[in-house]
Amino acid sequence: MTIKIVAFGKIADILPQQEWETDGLETAGMLRGQLEAKYPNLKGQRYLIAVDKKIANDDSPLEEHSVVALLPPFSGG
Amino acid sequence: MEKQTINTEEKPSHRHKKVFVEGPISAAFVGDSIAKHSTKMDIGAHSIFLGQVRKDVIESQEVVAIDYSAYAEMAEEKFHEIREDTFAKYPLTCMHIYHSLGKVNAGEICLFVFTSAIHRREAIDACNEVVERIKQEVPVWGKEIFDNDQHRWKENK
Repeated sequence: MTIKIVAFGKIADILPQQEWETDGLETAGMLRGQLEAKYPNLKGQRYLIAVDKKIANDDSPLEEHSVVALLPPFSGG
Repeated sequence: MEKQTINTEEKPSHRHKKVFVEGPISAAFVGDSIAKHSTKMDIGAHSIFLGQVRKDVIESQEVVAIDYSAYAEMAEEKFHEIREDTFAKYPLTCMHIYHSLGKVNAGEICLFVFTSAIHRREAIDACNEVVERIKQEVPVWGKEIFDNDQHRWKENK
């Protein structure tokens, strides 16, 4: 199961890439855990996860071709 | 020979209006938008919010510009949802929302919300609500650029 991950704002600055694909993850929470283990700088950062443009929680399932976005606090306007 | 397709279908009624503009929103654009409403004789009140980039000083560094980026696909859906909700809640004649992307210098306009109604109260309340919802719900990020080329990611209060 392949998903696409896109990071924005401050989170994109912390990660080595803004967009990539990965597989083997079943929930948004699993992705969060994997990312924070791999990139310790991410721990303590505030960000929401959106799955297919809807704000998700850690239990939200990931599906084939889901687009998962990492969204730091908004600052539009 | 390749078959030519002619698209005669109208887009659905829930058409997404274009919100994002590249760079600052000019005073002339705001003026033109107001002028375009002079033919709508049932409007009795307009309410306009203009967001301007502030030259904040943070630890003796001056903000010279904000560089806006967005998760455009999700942001457009959110703008659409805010529009639909606001039209359902208030008796508005029309509503326009424009938000900058890219670099906007201090002193320039980055957000333009424009609501029109028969009477002032609806126009004012709807405008306020749209602005508050944009700040809280729409995935847009402002990177404050300082005069020494350093930057800091802004967070809405």
